Amino acid sequence: MPFQELDHTADVLIRVNAPDIPSLFTEAATAMFSLITSNRNDDGIVRRVSLEGESNEDLLYDFLAELLFIAEVDRLIFSAVTVEISENSLHAVARGEVFEPARHAGAMEIKGISYSGMNIREGKDGYQVDILFDV
Amino acid sequence: MIAGIRRVGPVEWEIPVGFIEGMRVPGTFYLSESLAATLEEGAVRQLANVATMPGIVGRALAMPDVHWGYGFPIGGVAAFGQENGVISPGGVGFDINCGVRLIATPLTVHDLGKMKELVNALFSTVPTGVGAQRTGRLSGTELEAILATGASWAVEAGFGIPGDIIRCEEGGCMEGALPEEVSQKARQRGMPQSGTLGSGNHFLEVQVVAEVIDEEAAAAFGVARDQICFMVHCGSRGLGHQVCTDYLKVLEAATKKYGIMLPDRQLACAPLTSKEAERYFGAMAAAANYAWANRQIITHMAREVFSKHFGIEYEEMPLVYDVAHNVAKFEEHHVEGRRMRLCVHRKGATRAFGPGSSDIPQTLASIGQPVIIPGSMGSSSFLLKGTANAMERTFGSTCHGAGRVSSRSKAKKNLDGSIIKEMLAKRGIVVKATSNAVIAEEAPEVYKPSSEVVAVVHQAGLSMEVARLEPLGVIKG
Repeated sequence: MPFQELDHTADVLIRVNAPDIPSLFTEAATAMFSLITSNRNDDGIVRRVSLEGESNEDLLYDFLAELLFIAEVDRLIFSAVTVEISENSLHAVARGEVFEPARHAGAMEIKGISYSGMNIREGKDGYQVDILFDV
Repeated sequence: MIAGIRRVGPVEWEIPVGFIEGMRVPGTFYLSESLAATLEEGAVRQLANVATMPGIVGRALAMPDVHWGYGFPIGGVAAFGQENGVISPGGVGFDINCGVRLIATPLTVHDLGKMKELVNALFSTVPTGVGAQRTGRLSGTELEAILATGASWAVEAGFGIPGDIIRCEEGGCMEGALPEEVSQKARQRGMPQSGTLGSGNHFLEVQVVAEVIDEEAAAAFGVARDQICFMVHCGSRGLGHQVCTDYLKVLEAATKKYGIMLPDRQLACAPLTSKEAERYFGAMAAAANYAWANRQIITHMAREVFSKHFGIEYEEMPLVYDVAHNVAKFEEHHVEGRRMRLCVHRKGATRAFGPGSSDIPQTLASIGQPVIIPGSMGSSSFLLKGTANAMERTFGSTCHGAGRVSSRSKAKKNLDGSIIKEMLAKRGIVVKATSNAVIAEEAPEVYKPSSEVVAVVHQAGLSMEVARLEPLGVIKG
């Protein structure tokens, strides 16, 4: 299980695990969209994201916020995300489909990504991060 | 009770200075014995964290609907001195000026026909749920005007009546809004979403005044027993969410720049005297204005539905009041015998100014500010009045709602939305939502009873009960 939902009363708290940092970002992004809706397809719609940040945490926050922004203004749902990170730069490709009110009825709205507790930890099996979404 | 917290009154509990390192003031929770039993350690820690912030005045406060959030606990109130204090998006939240308003109608419970038809008409008129948009997109100039003038823009554009403005907190427009500090991204999100309800716990509800507790105040507010009202609960939509997202980064940089030590990164803040604080306040105030315009446009749509459905005049549906429950504002308060200008943060808490305040409508000056406490789906909502006691003890603040006790994922796993809908229907409450999952997430059993929360603020004298409203029909995203 690349991510699990931890108990949080008001919002949604997830724990993401991955063997390396780029896949941690990939898992975090796909987890975010799986929280939004379970109906997700790759219909060949592609968006690219390039960012710079001082730390991996900064990059992760900006990356997730940017995907939320694109998904909302372009009315898209992403289902597959690939990420490359070198030094302080991130390049990602997100694939997905057009948001359809009927098919995606009951989707969850994520208002924002919190900084609270967002620390990327390295363990013997790779990397782990907890992310709290305001919903 | 959690170790280290002591009871100091019938509904008052204290976190003493020293509970965690760096606390500058004590923390206070207003809770009954049974609500105290549900208090989470996370919420206690978050209130103690708030008490460490520079320039905090008096106490860090938590209302009886307190729960674990991020940054401030939800239900948290803190005031900061203008000279040495700070402002933090963590004390406001992503949904800037999430709030609630109550609109009266000339109808009584006996005038209502089939609730299902009314609820369906409201659901098809008011854009509801993720991705919903209003027909008639705003122009860039209109959005600019909304950011600067809030509900006034909406009324001038034909979405209301002049009396609506008088019955809004801040007159539906925060002073100090700086639209130029709202990013293009926030504008792009806000443009198609003006006049949309959103999802989650936001709702539009048809209610009946089931009980009047304070006849004088109820008459002044314009409600009577058996009267039909409707309530709107929503905020600043994607525009406000983006303002918070943008400024968390700005204020985090400021936290480092000014050498502020914080126990939680989400409490990122800047000295009130700094440029960063001025920018965040200006953008936040503009987002708050967007939220007031949003609630005003939704009110207009609902009034048109009522008008058509029941043959009543638009003007016969006055706004009782509109309150913000996620906002930071500059206010004057008496602190230890001194009049001080403070930046009061209310995150999941409602302003509850007492009689005589110059910030409430003149016609209500002898009564106090109307306070609206929405219930969770299927439970009672309340109309209260602000008090002098709240002015002395909580910077004129009270609770904001029911407060969750169970997570959304647990609710979705354990509860069936269609069964909840049927159970509510048996109690005479019609629910129309975009999905059954939303109904399960917001089921009555995942919230503290609103009546218990309100009983605590009443007992503590932070606001007094005026009327109880019961739901008849609900639309939700």
